[in-house]
Amino acid sequence: MPITFKELSHEYNLGTPFAYLALDHVSLAIPEGKVTAIIGETGSGKTTLVQHLNALLLPTGGELEVAGRTISSNEKPKHLKALRKDVGLVFQFPEYQLFEETIIKDVCFGPKNFGVDEETAVQLAEKYLRIVGIDESDFHKSPFDLSGGQKRRVAIAGILAMDPQVLVLDEPTAGLDPQGAKEMMQLFSRLNKEYGKTVLIVTHDMEHVLHYCDEVIVVADGHIREQCEVHEFFRSVELLKELKINPPAVIRLREELREKGFQIPDDMIDVEQLIDAVASEVKGHE
Amino acid sequence: MNNFALGKYMPLDSIIHRMDPRAKIGAMLLLMVAIFIPAGYIGYAVIAVLIITAVFLSKLRLNFIWRSVKPMMFMLLFLWIINVLVLRTGYVMFTVFGFKVYSDAIFQTLFIIIRLLLMIIVTTILTATTKPLELTLGIEDLLTPFKVIHVPAHEIAMMISIALRFIPTLIEETNRIIKAQTSRGVDLDEGTLKEKLMAILALIVPLFVSAFQRAEELANAMEARGYIPNRPRTRYKQLEMTFKDYVLLLLSTLILILNICIWKGFI
Repeated sequence: MPITFKELSHEYNLGTPFAYLALDHVSLAIPEGKVTAIIGETGSGKTTLVQHLNALLLPTGGELEVAGRTISSNEKPKHLKALRKDVGLVFQFPEYQLFEETIIKDVCFGPKNFGVDEETAVQLAEKYLRIVGIDESDFHKSPFDLSGGQKRRVAIAGILAMDPQVLVLDEPTAGLDPQGAKEMMQLFSRLNKEYGKTVLIVTHDMEHVLHYCDEVIVVADGHIREQCEVHEFFRSVELLKELKINPPAVIRLREELREKGFQIPDDMIDVEQLIDAVASEVKGHE
Repeated sequence: MNNFALGKYMPLDSIIHRMDPRAKIGAMLLLMVAIFIPAGYIGYAVIAVLIITAVFLSKLRLNFIWRSVKPMMFMLLFLWIINVLVLRTGYVMFTVFGFKVYSDAIFQTLFIIIRLLLMIIVTTILTATTKPLELTLGIEDLLTPFKVIHVPAHEIAMMISIALRFIPTLIEETNRIIKAQTSRGVDLDEGTLKEKLMAILALIVPLFVSAFQRAEELANAMEARGYIPNRPRTRYKQLEMTFKDYVLLLLSTLILILNICIWKGFI
């Protein structure tokens, strides 16, 4: 079942001089089993949007359906804990949530909170620590001895070990080096393809959107500005310009070639295909 | 956490907001001393009149004042219960299930409660109507005369302003960590004692780690920009006492003198 937002609004500091409408009657359906990117400028409401998915924030208006549950503004929700097990939310800079003495204990913390017994929790923790690429010899080290990138992997493993159906990541690659960021995105892509998880990623990196995501949602000023499939999204450069988005390198190359007079279809988003198209056209002229 | 009103600045435009922070701090200190003088109900009534007038002039909502007082309510109730159990002087006012409740227990506690409430409201008005930065400028100025006895006025002011500056940041950080750990199944409201202790640990450790990290980063950033404590510094904002500030100080002084007179039996 897709995740659906129905006319959902969220206003911070309701009833004080600081009141601020962060989401304004948002209606939206996020498909299951896909990788969806949520993009938008800082302060557009992305983080507010994703924090509704596991009921960390409750709507001040409208309703939301996620993992078979309905959360609406006019009734007090029940069973939030069960929902939080099904929807894993990884915060921005999640390394700040580490607190245990050892890495393995920290990863076990989540599953144990949801009633998994010690033994199974350790198994889950080991499994996901391996998946995120933490060396087995490090399992019993303190999480505070790790590098920033490693800490983040441990924190993400901590959410994965809860075995959520939907995985929501708020800027998971912020502050990582390009190689680390790439590995991280490949990991999410793998979790989607091999483990069938629905993945939502808040990101600013268009290269990541292009290469690892299926769908794009653009949030602007608390509204959904655009929602479409990725290749559809990168088809029109006008739209990207309007949204003040710097297109990925491949798209820029495609557009420059098209301006130079090459007959390249506007839905092409792959470098190899681009090269082939140019090569065959050059050959055709000879 | 968002409902935490104590010590929060409310950006409104009122005569109290525009007053000189030094006058406001001075008036607060005078009133604090006045509150502690046992001048009976008349003394408290006079202070209350000034405070209530200040609340109205400051345009603060009564709801805001209530929210800053509310966290203390539990403590005040607790105090009352303890006093009823312990204080056994005065005359018996009434009997509950065979337990005699004495007049002193009721009235003395009432005095303490009135004092505490007045103190909280006075400080709330000060912090709600004065920007943290102005507050520290005021403190720095008031401490300057003590430089002769080697009181590091500027450093104290800097420490206070940094501490004040980081209260909202740390609250924000706490909220963020609460949310992050809630996502990992921490339930702060339910669970056994052991689970609750674990939940608190899961909040405190990350909070301390990030606070220390912030402290180090801030110290480095300050030093990188050439900050050296106890060097003379210029100020962008100059404070100026006006007529209304003198009126406030005069009123506070008069109340203090009045209360001393009542206490010593001159009136």
